[in-house]
Amino acid sequence: MKRKLRYLYLELKKTAGIFPRMLLQAILLMAIIGMIAFCGVKGMEREPLAVRADVGVAVREDSRMMRLALAYVENMESVSEVCRFVQVSEEEGRRMLKQGKIIALVILPEQIVEGILNGSNPSVDIVFPSNSGLEAMLFRELAKSGERLLQVAQAQIYGAGDMAEKYGLTDGLSVMETEIDSSNLAFALDRFALYDTKMLSATGRLGLWQFYAASGTVLFLLMAGMALYPVMQKEPKAFTDQLARCGTGAAWQCFSKWLCGVLCMLLFAGMLCLSVYLLLAAGEKKLFRTEEGAAAAWQLRSELAGAGNRLGGMAAVGTALLIVAAVTTFVFMIYSAAGSGTAGIPAIFLLGAAMVYLSGGLVPDVFLPRIVQEIGDKLPTAYLIRAAGGLIAGCSGGTLRQCIGGMSAYTAVFGAAAWLFRKRSV
Amino acid sequence: MDNMIIVSDITSSYGRKQVLKGVSFTAERGECIGIAGANGCGKTTLMSVLAGVRRPKSGTVQYGGRMCRDRRVIREMTGYVPQEDPLIPELSVYDNLRLWYPDRKTLRQELEHGFLNMLGIDGFIGKRVDKLSGGMKKRVSIGIAMAGTPPVLLMDEPGAALDLICKEDIRKYLQAYLAHQGTVVIATHEESELALCDRLYVMKSGVLFPADKTLRGEALTALF
Repeated sequence: MKRKLRYLYLELKKTAGIFPRMLLQAILLMAIIGMIAFCGVKGMEREPLAVRADVGVAVREDSRMMRLALAYVENMESVSEVCRFVQVSEEEGRRMLKQGKIIALVILPEQIVEGILNGSNPSVDIVFPSNSGLEAMLFRELAKSGERLLQVAQAQIYGAGDMAEKYGLTDGLSVMETEIDSSNLAFALDRFALYDTKMLSATGRLGLWQFYAASGTVLFLLMAGMALYPVMQKEPKAFTDQLARCGTGAAWQCFSKWLCGVLCMLLFAGMLCLSVYLLLAAGEKKLFRTEEGAAAAWQLRSELAGAGNRLGGMAAVGTALLIVAAVTTFVFMIYSAAGSGTAGIPAIFLLGAAMVYLSGGLVPDVFLPRIVQEIGDKLPTAYLIRAAGGLIAGCSGGTLRQCIGGMSAYTAVFGAAAWLFRKRSV
Repeated sequence: MDNMIIVSDITSSYGRKQVLKGVSFTAERGECIGIAGANGCGKTTLMSVLAGVRRPKSGTVQYGGRMCRDRRVIREMTGYVPQEDPLIPELSVYDNLRLWYPDRKTLRQELEHGFLNMLGIDGFIGKRVDKLSGGMKKRVSIGIAMAGTPPVLLMDEPGAALDLICKEDIRKYLQAYLAHQGTVVIATHEESELALCDRLYVMKSGVLFPADKTLRGEALTALF
């Protein structure tokens, strides 16, 4: 055991000796990845798309009152933000619906305005296409909600009328109906209550900066693995044989090198967080010319400062350690399998970049083909990115457990494979 | 004189290729055994088996009457100098030696008065291994093999790629070791190293047979 500990100490000493050189390489990598991430974020930033679609309106009776009513409804703010009415004939409307030129066709019956006024309430037909797009679905929901609101309002008016008749209060009925309408419009029937503000983002639950901070960290750690070659390279066979014959076998040799790698990775990760934090703090105004950019930088800096708080202290530390351990074990396995830096370093670069891409770390996975999404979702980088995102923005207990399970399983598999590769050569 | 090494009917193979075919020999205390042969004849495999790095397929090895079934006995009884130097290049000579010596005190004593002093290691003890010459590295390798002062020293082509001065230094060191009743098995195809040997064996295609120790030049290579 004494010799094993001495060997571990010497590996640590060796690592400390070559760490400055590795750190320089890691800084270079960080600069390159930082530039890629910055360009990626700038390229992804867009104004939110406004959903404004055409709705066909077929009027069976063309009267002045009808045109006035249509113009009133169309110019209501809640409607005009979502759609534009196009007056068409019924046949033309159905053809346009098939061609996808309109998202719905509203067919208004004859005497509709009079029907509303005298209480006969003739029904309006709304035709939706068989393959509804996002806009059609939105309009369908809007129509359904409107229908429900009208039902409630009508029930109130009729209920009030029946009650007034029952208790002989018909004299004040018209005043009561006006007051009910006013109250409904003022409190209960707020048309804007139909809309639920929901942010749709290609990066899912994470904001754009959070997303690239998470995937960038994983990519950086993987690429920093290239700098770890001097620590993780195989020692000369004569040396490992000599160690093995003295009782320090492949398992302990692997563990020692892996531990040195983990410590280096932890320092790299710490250095990355500190650099980004200081950079954002120093250059909030200068680096990001716009107020929005500065605000985003401030927000990201605050999130970095509070990273992990959302998960809770121990869970955050455990998750961060597991991320570092999983990446280091992956890198260690590649070097063990490759046997040399010439093969190992390019392999880490290519595999790392490919896995991050497939897991939606470079381009959000919603933009990738479904088959790629399915493959990418099972890769270790998917769990790593999710876990890093959880550290930055917090995540549910279920997601965290899934990430920890995935990362632990992959770490165990990579570790066993690395040990087998090394054992074969000892 | 008693036998320090008894090797009986050792066989070893890489996959289907049998590399050692029933190798047997003995060596007495204070004796130097030379094993000569062409490249790829099985010398290094035999040395690996004797050093406990590789397990034989069949056969036995005894050191000082102790059957070598586990590595602990082999480790106690032998020092092994492989062809390549078993060193960590990024560390100093001292750190490399420190890994193999039980404590600092023993190492210091060896450096001041023992075999390490004889090897002249003290002169470059603080240097990084990757800054050393081939001869210096070989001396450190021998120094490592001598940790714990084992009674048997196994050397696999110690003079390969060394200059004449280094070879002469190592030869002097081996003479001193033999004078202290150490036993040496040396695998080589260099004639200068054979001069030290009390007995000579030639290995050909995994078979070991005794040869006249005075054979040199073409007369010797004709046996390979």
